[in-house]
Amino acid sequence: MQTTIQSRNRAPLAVKLMLLVLFLFGLAIILNGMKGMREYAESGFSAEAAYQAIYHLHKETDSAWKQKLEPQLQKMTEEEQEDLNQLMLQLLSSSWESQKKGGKDLLEEILAETEEAERESLSRKLLYATYLVNGPKVSSANRKAITAISGNETDAFHTQLLRSLLDETTELPAALQKLAGDLTGEERSAMLMQAWYVSNGSAEPGVTEQVNTLKKSVRDKAAQLSAFRMIARGEVSAIEQLVVGHSRTAILIGIVIAFNALLLTLLMLGDQTWRVDIKWIVILLIVDFLLLFQLMPLIYMLFKAFFPEGKFSLETIRRLHTYPLNLDAVKNTLIAATATMIFGTLLAFPLAWLVGRTNLYGRKFFRALFVLTYMVPPYVGAMAWLRLLNPNVGTMNQWLRALLHLSDTPGPLNVYTLPGMIWVLTSFYYPYAFITISRAMEKMDPSLEEASRVSGASPIKTVFTVTLPMMLPSLISGALLVFVSAMSCYGIPSIIGSPGRVHTVTTRIVEYVSLGQQGLNDATGMAVFLMVLAVIILFLSDVVLAKRQYITVSGKSMQPTLVELRSWRIPLTILVSLFAVLVILIPFATILMTSFKIDVGKSVLAEGNFTLGNWETVFGRVETMNSLKNSLIFASVTATVGIVIACTMSYLLQRTHIRGRKIPDFLITLGSGTPSVVIALGLIMTMKGNFGINIYNTAYIMIIAYLIKYLMMGMRTVVSAMSQIHVSLEESSQISGASWSRTMFKITGPLIFPSIAAGWFLIFIPSFYELSMTTLLYSSTTKTIGFQLYEYWTFTSQPMSCAMAFGILLIVMLLNFILNRLTKGEFSI
Amino acid sequence: MATVTIQNVTKAFGDNVVLRSFDATFQDGEFITLLGPSGCSKTTILRIIAGFEKPTEGEVYIDGQLVSGGKTFVPPDKRGVGMVFQSYAVWPHMNVFDNVAYPLTIRHVPKAEMKNSVERVLGIVHLSQYAERFPGQLSGGQQQRVALARALVAEPKLLLLDEPLSNLDAKLRESMRFEIKEIQRKLGITVVYVTHDQTEAMAMSDRIFLLNQGVVQQCGTPQEIYNTPANQFVADFLGKVDFFKGEAGNGKIVFPAMNGQSIPYTGTRTGKVDVAIRPENFFFTEKGILNGILETQYYLGDVDDCRVRIGETLVRVITNGFEFRNLRDGQQVSLGVRDLMVFEDNGYLERMLEINT
Repeated sequence: MQTTIQSRNRAPLAVKLMLLVLFLFGLAIILNGMKGMREYAESGFSAEAAYQAIYHLHKETDSAWKQKLEPQLQKMTEEEQEDLNQLMLQLLSSSWESQKKGGKDLLEEILAETEEAERESLSRKLLYATYLVNGPKVSSANRKAITAISGNETDAFHTQLLRSLLDETTELPAALQKLAGDLTGEERSAMLMQAWYVSNGSAEPGVTEQVNTLKKSVRDKAAQLSAFRMIARGEVSAIEQLVVGHSRTAILIGIVIAFNALLLTLLMLGDQTWRVDIKWIVILLIVDFLLLFQLMPLIYMLFKAFFPEGKFSLETIRRLHTYPLNLDAVKNTLIAATATMIFGTLLAFPLAWLVGRTNLYGRKFFRALFVLTYMVPPYVGAMAWLRLLNPNVGTMNQWLRALLHLSDTPGPLNVYTLPGMIWVLTSFYYPYAFITISRAMEKMDPSLEEASRVSGASPIKTVFTVTLPMMLPSLISGALLVFVSAMSCYGIPSIIGSPGRVHTVTTRIVEYVSLGQQGLNDATGMAVFLMVLAVIILFLSDVVLAKRQYITVSGKSMQPTLVELRSWRIPLTILVSLFAVLVILIPFATILMTSFKIDVGKSVLAEGNFTLGNWETVFGRVETMNSLKNSLIFASVTATVGIVIACTMSYLLQRTHIRGRKIPDFLITLGSGTPSVVIALGLIMTMKGNFGINIYNTAYIMIIAYLIKYLMMGMRTVVSAMSQIHVSLEESSQISGASWSRTMFKITGPLIFPSIAAGWFLIFIPSFYELSMTTLLYSSTTKTIGFQLYEYWTFTSQPMSCAMAFGILLIVMLLNFILNRLTKGEFSI
Repeated sequence: MATVTIQNVTKAFGDNVVLRSFDATFQDGEFITLLGPSGCSKTTILRIIAGFEKPTEGEVYIDGQLVSGGKTFVPPDKRGVGMVFQSYAVWPHMNVFDNVAYPLTIRHVPKAEMKNSVERVLGIVHLSQYAERFPGQLSGGQQQRVALARALVAEPKLLLLDEPLSNLDAKLRESMRFEIKEIQRKLGITVVYVTHDQTEAMAMSDRIFLLNQGVVQQCGTPQEIYNTPANQFVADFLGKVDFFKGEAGNGKIVFPAMNGQSIPYTGTRTGKVDVAIRPENFFFTEKGILNGILETQYYLGDVDDCRVRIGETLVRVITNGFEFRNLRDGQQVSLGVRDLMVFEDNGYLERMLEINT
């Protein structure tokens, strides 16, 4: 008892102190980092890496002298030693003078300010450092010859070498004949001196690497001489090289530590118990990750948009409407997204109603079919429609021309236009609204509609007075979802819009990024425009849902009464079937057919036009397999990391009342609402080392981008599953004596397993075929299947890319099938 | 004021027959209750009358007019009935006034008249001051009354109520029960009421249709059903009852499981019988007809709930006989029987036992 009381009294103070120390520690790291940056700025080096090289080379020089070179000198007579010292000084000063005018004076200055006793060893080390970096160069053949001398011969060789340094007439050791045999005077001495160093191990790979780093990061001659001095004197300490070499990283880490300490303090202030909860650490870790990789890039981008050159300027924003191409892109994006939203919702609501509330034939089948479109990569649809509606060779245009007896002119339909793009966008984004509305309709208590019927309203009247108003919140949020998705889409406009010069904000951003600095400024402006729009919509949809979320789930689940379509039943079923054929069957069939064609302009049934070659070629290529492997790996890692975070967050959100659990939730929601290209652009601008993190051109940057975009899909799935498991199920396990972890593994885990699996796939599938972010973030070694497909489409051959597209579709369908099996039919997309 | 005639109605979902040849006629102004355990298809009958389900076979007439049957099917909106749903189904996007006025809006009733009608019904259900509120701001009981007002506002000839009180707490349920009955009396409409609560049914109904597994077990006034149940199920479903196996004949019934003790019997049945006796129909007396040992007694305030062992049988006795309050456990007691019900032993009890175990 006593101990608990004591510890209770002491704990708050200890915790407060710990927080303070943590905060100060963070500040100290920031300050050090800033000092390091300042020091670096004054050093004249062109990269921070110089400090690491200097530190390591000093260690090398020091140990080489103490352990190897010094003992060899000791074997010489005093006189010889003195002569050698003189020679070294002479070689040093001429080497320095040849590097930079006044190098000799600089050397004398350095020696003068050194204590007499130290001068000798300093000059020796200076020479060693100088020769390490500047040479004379020893060819690798000679290097081998020198280093090959080993065992007993080494001592003799070294003595002979040093002697011949002093006296030109002494015969050179055999290994050196080739190297210095023809040289005389200072050249000969310099070469022999270098040979001496080389023979003592300065040729090791690690050293060579450091030398190369130094050469790269110290270009200026004066800076190079000061680097030699720093090496010889050991002016860079281990800490210093860390701090200067990683000053930006240090500042970032410092900020994170200080921020965590502050946030923890804030959380604890509200809690008052001053107990460090492990959950907070988990929250902080997630928040840190999101702050660094999601929020910082966004904020930096905002900053860059308004302070392009460090000074406030609206130029970037102005270019959005003063530069015609940009203005066009903005207009096209707004028009396309609005039209897609309107058409998509107008399609989705009647479809959802027909499929969910009427006795339409095959309603379950149609429902599954419309939902299926959701998991098809949009660019595949774009490719299909391009094949169908190309004004010259589009299959559908050919049919129409034959049907309408038009002459062999282009048209009548042209996909390379804004309406064409809107059509393709609509046919791929209406499922978003369809799913949202269908789900809400399934949840709606059917007796709400029945009450209207029994009040005397006809089925149609009921739709307009009850169903539609009740669905309004989900209708709006579905519509907004379509708007955001359409405006952030890159795949469709890049495949359909670019050839037709119908630019959108996303395609402009990608083009600008490839243009370098001015391009980056323009891209930033566009990205900020996109981001602001997305955030506004996210906010709107949140408000709409929060305000008008009706709780209409009925007490007992009842099969809704289906509206009798009577004489309309067959015509409407035909209409829906035609729609399904037009939007789903024809495009997919086109992709499949095209993949077997030799000449894309002819029918696949035309003689000699059928081949399996496209499939063989595409899937036989190493680059295809590599990108497929990349995609599978990246998507698996993303999904696995994502689902771990999702489960953690679900637990925090559903099972705890811990303060601050909504912070990561908010950030994750924001991330998923941010347009893909914006996420990618932000990462490009901040993750190339300028903020202390350099993951540019790596797989990490892609996985992080995918995580930010798709984490919420997984999280929502697990959260909703956990919210449906009453907490008493867990409590009754604990009351039966099971520990927390046992309860999680035996009760909660199995109950929500289907949702965890579904969440994993929901992250995996879009990451697997992602294109928009990949286009900006890929490097030659991190190409993914989606990007590879895009490259094939643009640069290689359409039939081949169709084979690949169908391959992707098959993989996605296979994954969907696995998911369905794994969750015993409870989930599929 | 409507009559409802249901002729030979059968309803099946696929191969699953949930209602078998249901026949009934509900008279003008009658309060009819469809009573039964869950899954007995009482709601299905209601939905067939409303037009939300089509009967697989048979016909339904409202006021002599065929509404379901053969090729004829009148949709719910053309039947002119009022209905209150179990979940109330009050539309959350309309306020109370709009909810209630909805049936009148459909009928294009003039504004002024509509306002009068709505205010009148809101008065009936005591919600006049809530007209501007939205359902989200109302309690369950208030929402239920909104649903009732909405069902009544168009003055339907027939009012259908689907377990309207099941989501309310006990107190509110009791008061609403009498309010509904009161409204029905005032308006003189025909009401079909679905419930699984026997007390509700007893308190409100003119006639009760007791259903089990899609078959009508008995139909009659509450008194008839309670006092002269048609079979063991009816006796068992209404009130508390214990069954004893006996052998009838020679003016008495012998109970082998009660050490062969017997009670006098003047009825017509002979041979193996099921005797049903309600616990409150036993009473302690100086010289009774059954003798046993008092095993336990629970004091419940208004009554005593006792168990008396007679041979192998444990008999439940509910008594308020004050002179026998001082009995001790283990004491020899004698029981009289006020009333009993005798059924043919048709294996019903064994079947029930099977279902329960």
